Amino acid sequence: MKRILLSLLVLASAFTVKAQTADEVIAKHIDAIGGAENWKKVNSMKMEGVLQVQGAEVNVVVTVLHGKGMRQDISVMGMTGYEIVTPTEGWDFMPFQGQTEPEAKTAEELAEAQDNLDAQGELLDYATKGHKVELIGKEDVEGTECFKLKVTKKGGSVSTLFIDPKSFYIVQSKSTQKANGQEVEVTTSYSNYEKLPEGIVMAKSMTLPFGEMNMTKITVNGPVEESFFKK
Amino acid sequence: MRILTTALALLIAATGFTQTPINSSTFGMMEARWLGPGTMSGRITAIEGVAQDGKTIYIGTAGGGIWKTTNAGASFKPIFDRYCQSIGALAIDPNNPKVIFAGTGESNMRNSVSIGDGLYKSTDGGDNWTKLGLEKTEHIAKVVINPRETNTIYVAAPGPLWHSSKERGLYKSTDGGKTFEKILFISEEAGCADVAVDPEHPDTVYASTWEFRRKPYAFNSGGNGSGMWKSTDGGKTWKELKNGLPAKPFGRIAFAVASSASQNLVAIVESKETGLFISADGGENWKKQSATFNVVSRPFYFSTIVIDPKDPKRVYRPALSFSYSSDGGYSFADASNEGGWVHSDHHALWINPNNTNQIYLGTDGGVYISLDRGATWNFVQSLPVGQFYHASVDDRKPYNIYGGLQDNGSWVGPSAAAGGVSNGLWKPINGGDGFWVQPDPNDIYTAYAESQGGNINRINLVNTKAVNIKPQQAPGEEKLRWNWNTPIVFGAANKKNLYMASQYLYKSVDQGRNWARISPDLTTNDKKKQEQEESGGLSADNTSAENHCTIFTMAESPLDEKLIWAGTDDGNLQYTTDAGKTWTNVAANYKNAGIPAQTWISSIEPSRFDKKVVYATFDNHMYGDHKTWLGYSADMGRTWKLISSPEFTGFAHIIRQDLINKDLLFLGTEMGLFGTLDGGQNWFRMKNKIPEYALVRDIKIHPRTHDLIIATHGRGILIVDDISPIRNLKKETAEKDVVLFPNAPITLTMGQFGDGGFPSTGGWVAGNPPSIPPIKYYLKDRVNSGEVKVEIFDAAGKLVQSIPGSKRKGVNMVMWNLSMKPPKIASGGAKIDFAGFLAPMVLPGEYTIKLKVADSVYTSKVKLVHDPLDKNFTLEDRKKQNKAAMDLYQLHERLATVVDSINDRQKLVKDNLTKVTDSTLKRSMVAYNEELEKLRTELLATKKNSVFADEKKLREDITEVYAGVTGQEAAPSNLQLQRTVTLQSEVKKKEEAAKVVIKKYDEAVKAGLRKEGLIGPKPEKKGF
Repeated sequence: MKRILLSLLVLASAFTVKAQTADEVIAKHIDAIGGAENWKKVNSMKMEGVLQVQGAEVNVVVTVLHGKGMRQDISVMGMTGYEIVTPTEGWDFMPFQGQTEPEAKTAEELAEAQDNLDAQGELLDYATKGHKVELIGKEDVEGTECFKLKVTKKGGSVSTLFIDPKSFYIVQSKSTQKANGQEVEVTTSYSNYEKLPEGIVMAKSMTLPFGEMNMTKITVNGPVEESFFKK
Repeated sequence: MRILTTALALLIAATGFTQTPINSSTFGMMEARWLGPGTMSGRITAIEGVAQDGKTIYIGTAGGGIWKTTNAGASFKPIFDRYCQSIGALAIDPNNPKVIFAGTGESNMRNSVSIGDGLYKSTDGGDNWTKLGLEKTEHIAKVVINPRETNTIYVAAPGPLWHSSKERGLYKSTDGGKTFEKILFISEEAGCADVAVDPEHPDTVYASTWEFRRKPYAFNSGGNGSGMWKSTDGGKTWKELKNGLPAKPFGRIAFAVASSASQNLVAIVESKETGLFISADGGENWKKQSATFNVVSRPFYFSTIVIDPKDPKRVYRPALSFSYSSDGGYSFADASNEGGWVHSDHHALWINPNNTNQIYLGTDGGVYISLDRGATWNFVQSLPVGQFYHASVDDRKPYNIYGGLQDNGSWVGPSAAAGGVSNGLWKPINGGDGFWVQPDPNDIYTAYAESQGGNINRINLVNTKAVNIKPQQAPGEEKLRWNWNTPIVFGAANKKNLYMASQYLYKSVDQGRNWARISPDLTTNDKKKQEQEESGGLSADNTSAENHCTIFTMAESPLDEKLIWAGTDDGNLQYTTDAGKTWTNVAANYKNAGIPAQTWISSIEPSRFDKKVVYATFDNHMYGDHKTWLGYSADMGRTWKLISSPEFTGFAHIIRQDLINKDLLFLGTEMGLFGTLDGGQNWFRMKNKIPEYALVRDIKIHPRTHDLIIATHGRGILIVDDISPIRNLKKETAEKDVVLFPNAPITLTMGQFGDGGFPSTGGWVAGNPPSIPPIKYYLKDRVNSGEVKVEIFDAAGKLVQSIPGSKRKGVNMVMWNLSMKPPKIASGGAKIDFAGFLAPMVLPGEYTIKLKVADSVYTSKVKLVHDPLDKNFTLEDRKKQNKAAMDLYQLHERLATVVDSINDRQKLVKDNLTKVTDSTLKRSMVAYNEELEKLRTELLATKKNSVFADEKKLREDITEVYAGVTGQEAAPSNLQLQRTVTLQSEVKKKEEAAKVVIKKYDEAVKAGLRKEGLIGPKPEKKGF
């Protein structure tokens, strides 16, 4: 009996130790979030969320039309600002501090922001999209030992994704923005994963350095016109 | 087959059963704050920059890992926190600057130098690292890359410092570091100290070998193994260079090749006649220069000489101070202090090859930047890599931290401050190398600090004036022997007792004005270990750093002031139970437990729960043994048990027992901080923003705040605030999925500090601990699905506040500002009204906390209390303030209702105006809108102006008073109250005015729109 157990132990450990490749991790991740088939059907996405700061609320609506446009509307106390990104134009309008007209993004900011036009997520068909992914190994993220994937986007920007080996959900991402000669690292944690009627699974909570945003409504493939992405 | 699956299930069940070990992840959000400071930084060992951009620069440190800047030094971040923190050398691939090599184990071979564990490589600019090998070299002095063929790498390894070893010499790789071959090996005693490749003829390689050895009580630099070498075939064969150099033996040789004219070399050769030598023919012939003092000082410690990449005549010698030559080393000038004092003792230099005016210098006290070729320097204030030896705390609010640092004196700084703890808040109180600093527990204006060799001062903290109170040799006594790092300790049982120790232990009960010797010589008094005046080798070097046969550590039992323990650097561990009359040596007893004899007793922790229990750490690294030696005795040192763990790395410096939970212990070593919650059976490495291999020299637990204070030798002070949740965590609790921790009563406050006014203008600034105790809960695992939310209800069951909860594994913390939700603010206008983020603090009372984790709810109560001692804000004041704040809160909400009703109607007009056909109706709608708009512009600021054109209307008027009253911890003033009454009548007037306008138009306009079919029929009245 002891020997059987021992060999089993070897078997079991061989099983867990077996090196995973980036593609295996990605495949399991995509399965966990609803499968490639369902994600490929996503053409538009509208996410409505609330950022709470000790009871004060900031409402955020992010609308993405796959490959065509991204618009983020932020409203606080009846005042609304926005960020718009299309393949050719980018605008920021943040009137909260007194800005009166929208301002154009710099060319570098616009180039980096192109990643946001992908409504299906960077890992789906990443090679076709021109991204490179590398499995760095495992790393502790807030106490959970995660797979660490390094994604080098077609445009050159780099993000690191940490995937929980139990659920295969992304628990955290770190992306480095380098526009305008600066280097800024943004860490985002994801949680409250939920399956939508369309079969895809999305994180309804995102924790950013300044607070947590909770999605109240996600509309997949609702009607979104290209004209919506105008300043 | 079935057997197999059952067995497998069993196996999984078995592993599942033990799945919740308590470890670093259990601490969850209890992460270390990096207090720094950056004002006295630490020893810098390597600096390399990216030539292609001139602003990406890597800084290697003696005990703080690697730091990277991408903006030429405006900000830095650490990039090596999961690995060995002692860095010897850095190299960047000149063709692909994303490729970086880091050799661990610095080679500035002073007494306190740390130890490395091999060579690492990153291919992505330091984001990720792989260890390549060479683990046993322990010290790596230089890594150079062949600029033509960058897979060819040379690694100079002086090798182990404290013992003979084959793991030293010059190593070469031709495959980017996958494999290495040793290409220059002299002996087990002599390693390789420096290497350079001729950039024009990269098969020409120069190397210097170095025979060097430390013992715990002396060191020797020099021997026949030291030499200057040249190879012209990439290291296959070597020739020793001698012509024009002094007679051997040599000590350490530092040299440089002029990359713009590579036949030119400069070398500092330690010998009986140490000097600077130059060669103009590739090292074949050398000529001595006249340079003295700074250029040739302390060759074992100052091993940097650099030639400007463009100008072969410009030679830099960073050493005791900073010297530069414009004539190839013939004459030297010293840098000016015009830009501020430049810390002495220099070890690293990087010159931007594309702008050679721009130079980065690494010193014993941090990094300096020069923009004028080294003439003047600016200090980089944002590198918190100070090398503390010990730390102490006082009991003030907020408490202060006291500590001494390697080559950086003794300092005191606050644990928290308005706007965060910035460099300027740290105060230097004593010079030299700093070690123990003790605040006087009975006198808040006094502290005790020392410099090397027992030079203790009593310091007036107000004006930093010092009185020397070092005990002196008495008639009939041997010469006093003071350790480099002499203990200064206050009694744990009797806080009047001040102790310090040479080979004898001294006690004072009057602040060091009078001392009593309370022991005989407690050391082995081995005369062979006391010949420090002969130490240094070719260059005599006796700085007290090698003083030996001294008392290194001591402690008074917290349970009995007569029970005192003392440990020496030569292995004696002694105690007295009668305040020093008689002493018992237990050295033979710990040896029986397998702990080596004659180690340094690095710390002693007499238990505060049982007089007979004592813990001690033993540091044997100076005899070449890096094991973590931790001992425990439950019978007053008669028998010892060796405590070990597979987790342990690094030789042990400090063991600390918790003040309340006897089974909670922390161990600090040269390579990490470890914790146990079961009295030492199971240990875990502390992470949570503590560098995993941090050099931990001292650990304190604050008795009032329960903070864990960690003094590191390379990362300054780290603090884990309030460890009580872990202290109280039982194994059974950790097995539960969710635990909402009980809350002690919380004193109502808006926080510890005001907001200051200005943000930091640079330098290191550490964040503050939470001013208000957070709501804490434990999650066994990270919550990936489902919401986590904290809701707070008042005694009447009304929801007061709702806050998203964090979801990480371990202890989570939610910050509640003890306020309700902010008011609804009149919508729209030209700018954000700040009042929408501001809410009145709740009143004292019992509140219910509901923690929602997915579908489960956990409930606890918390009592909020008013601080009865606050004379500036009595309970009566608080009630008045709350009443006024709520009155104004309601004004905002009433105004918001009026504005909403206006906005709704304006929208109705706007949506339909173009569709209306009836011209009378149209006119009426236009008039309606105009009157509404006129009213609206009186209610809130609406002009689209720049922020500089302030417009104040009713909303803004309310906010001025509301913000004042709500944001203050004081009763409202008479005029604030009077103004509130005025505003109440203003709001009432506007409510009336709105009603009048609406009454005038609304019915008629809606009827008209209905008639045209533009809006639906009037809703029927229900009920009556």
